[in-house]
Amino acid sequence: MKIDLANPAWHQTLPPARTITADAPVAACAFSRDGTAVAFALGDGSVRRLPADIAATPSDASPPVHGGAVLALVADPAGDGFVSGGDDGRLLRIGADGAATELFSQKGKWIDHLAAHRATGAIAASVGKAAVVVKDGEVREFGPHQSTVADLDFSKDGSRIGCAHYGGVTVWSLGQAPNGGVPPPRRFAWRGSHVALRWSTDGKFIATGTQENDIHVWRMAQATDMRMQGYPAKVRSLSWTADARFLYTSSQPVFTAWPFSGKGPEGKPPLQFGEEGAGLLSVVAAHPTAEFVAGGYDSGELQLGDIKSKRSVVLKMADGSAITCLAWSPDGFKLAVGNDRGDLLVVDLRR
Amino acid sequence: MAPPASAAQVPVTVLTGYLGAGKTTLLNRILSEQHGKKYAVIVNEFGELGIDNDLVVNADEEVFEMNNGCICCTVRGDLIRIIEGLMKRKDKFDGILVETTGLADPGPVAQTFFTDDDVKARTRLDAIVTVVDAKHFLGQLEQGSEAEEQVAFADVILLNKTDLVSTEDLAKVEGKIKAINPYARIHKTQKSQIDLAAILDKGAFDLARILEFEPDFLTHGHDHNHEEEVKSLSITSDRLVDPDKFQKWMGALLQLRGGDIFRSKGILAIDGAPRRYVYQGVHMMMDSDWGVAWKAGEKRSSKLVFIGRNLDGDNLKRGFEDCLKQ
Repeated sequence: MKIDLANPAWHQTLPPARTITADAPVAACAFSRDGTAVAFALGDGSVRRLPADIAATPSDASPPVHGGAVLALVADPAGDGFVSGGDDGRLLRIGADGAATELFSQKGKWIDHLAAHRATGAIAASVGKAAVVVKDGEVREFGPHQSTVADLDFSKDGSRIGCAHYGGVTVWSLGQAPNGGVPPPRRFAWRGSHVALRWSTDGKFIATGTQENDIHVWRMAQATDMRMQGYPAKVRSLSWTADARFLYTSSQPVFTAWPFSGKGPEGKPPLQFGEEGAGLLSVVAAHPTAEFVAGGYDSGELQLGDIKSKRSVVLKMADGSAITCLAWSPDGFKLAVGNDRGDLLVVDLRR
Repeated sequence: MAPPASAAQVPVTVLTGYLGAGKTTLLNRILSEQHGKKYAVIVNEFGELGIDNDLVVNADEEVFEMNNGCICCTVRGDLIRIIEGLMKRKDKFDGILVETTGLADPGPVAQTFFTDDDVKARTRLDAIVTVVDAKHFLGQLEQGSEAEEQVAFADVILLNKTDLVSTEDLAKVEGKIKAINPYARIHKTQKSQIDLAAILDKGAFDLARILEFEPDFLTHGHDHNHEEEVKSLSITSDRLVDPDKFQKWMGALLQLRGGDIFRSKGILAIDGAPRRYVYQGVHMMMDSDWGVAWKAGEKRSSKLVFIGRNLDGDNLKRGFEDCLKQ
C-alpha cells in the first residue's frame, strides 16, 4: 500500500476522516506507540483517547486528569498509553486503560513541553527554567537555564537533551559525571529568544525558531551555526524528514524545506512547493518514513505535500479554526489533527 | 476567516506600584470578591498573594531585548508564553491582570503587547494602573526613579492609604503626581478599596477611545513644573499636519529618544484627510489608526502629548511645527 498524490482521487474528494468535537482547544496530539490509539490534549484538563481506526466506535469523553489545561502530550515510549503535562505542574503517565499515574510534579510551574525517546524509554519535560528527565522511574533535573525552557528534544540516540531558552540552546548529556553528578552542559549561544527546538533525525543539527521570525541551526560537530530569515511570523513548528535531508518549517503559505544533505543550506534558497494555502502554515509534520509532509494552516486548511513530485493536495478546507497540532501514525497512513476550537480529526490516507 | 480581532481579544491590565503600596491587597480583592467575572492574575515570583487559586500564574519577569538592534525594545518573554498558555484553557477570561514587582519598569510589559503578533491577536493592553502609597510616595521619589516612572506610565492611579496622611500632605502628594502625569485619572482609596469598573476595561490604549478616556484631552494644556525630571508636555496647533513630514519626524524622534519617552499619544488633523489620525506609543513602539471623522465646519486642531524624562519642550515644539502646513 502506498500514498500516491498522482492518483486523481486526491483532487476530486477529500480523504475519509473522522471528526469528534470536544469543547476545548487542542494543545497536542499523538498516536500510541503501537498505533492502535490516538490521543488529544485538551484545554479542559482531559486527555481524549480514541481508536486510531476511524471506522471504530469512538470512546466517550474522559474526565479531566489535569487541574487546568493539558499543555503537552507524547506517546508513552515505554507503553501503549500517553504522557501528558499540564499547567497544574504535573507530569502524568496515562495507561492504555486511561488510569493516570504521576511521574513528577512541581506546584506553581507549567509543564508545557515534552519529548520522548522510544529506544531508551526516557521522557523529558520543561519545568520552568529547568528540564526534568524521567527514565526507569528515576527523575533527574537539568538546569536552571537563564530563562524558562521554551522547548526541548532528545538527540537521535537519546543520550542527550537540547533545551531552547533565551540566548540559545543548552545541551545536557544524560550520562553520569565521574563524581556521579550531572556532566557540564554544552552551550550554543545566539542572542534572542528561542521558542521552538528540533534535533535533526541524524543527530547532526539542532534547529530553533526564534522570537524574531527566523530560524537558527547549529552544527553539533563543529559548533558552527547558521541563520535563515524571511519569515512573516515566528516559526513555532519545525520538522526534520526521516532521512534528515530536509528541515520543514511553518509560517509560510507553502511547504518550505531547507536542504541539509551535501554542503547544507547556506547560500541556498529553501525548496518551496505545493499549492498556496489559506493563511500561513501553523504546524508541519514530516512523514515518519516516506517523503511526504503534512501541513496545517492558521486558517484551518490541511495539506499533504510530496517533495519528490513537488505537489500538494488539500486534506481539509479552511474553516477559521487554526490547526494547533499534527501527528502521524507509526505506519504513516493516518494523520491526527487538532485545532483551537476542539475538533479532533483523524484522516485515513489509504486510497 | 478569523473572527474580528477585537471580539476575541482579552483585555489586559498592568498593575504596578512601589513595594507595599497595596497591589497585593487589590489583587486579593479582585480574586475573592463576588463580581461574576473571571480574571486571570499573573503575579511576580516574589509576590505574596495569600490566595491559592488556579487563576493565579507565577511569572519570572524575564525581560529581554528583541534581537532587532533596538536597545530599548525590551519585552517580557515569560508573558508571551503565559498568555499563549492561558488561551489553551477551555475557560475564557473576562480579563487578565499582570502584576509587576515594585521595582519594575512597566515599559517591557506594555511593549510586549505592541511587539508579539500572537499576543496582539489574542489580547489587548487595556490600561496601566499604578498604586501609589500616599504616606511614602514623596520619600520613594528620593530613593530612585522607579516610583516616578510608575506614575509617568499610568493611565489610572490609585492614590492609596489616604487615611494615613493629613489633608495637606495628601494634597502635596496629589500635586506631585499631577506634575509628573496630569493625564492619569486619580482615585483616592483606603486599603485599595475601589470599584473594579474604575480600573478594569478602561480602553486606555484603544485608539478609538482616546477622546472618551480623557475628556479634557483637547481642552487643557498642562505644561507646568519645568523643573521636574520626569514630566509631561503637550503641543497643540490649529494648522494642518503634513503626514509624510510627521511620520519622518516622529520615527526619528522615537528612534533617538524612545528610551526617555515613556508614553506618547496624539490626535492629528492631517491635511486632506476627512478623519482624525490617532496614535499612541510606549517608548519606541507605536500604534496608529484613523479615528472619528471631522464634522462639517468643525475646527480642526491637533494635539500631541509626551510623558518622559528630560523632555526638551522647545525642541519638540519646533520639530512638530516643521511638520505643519503653512
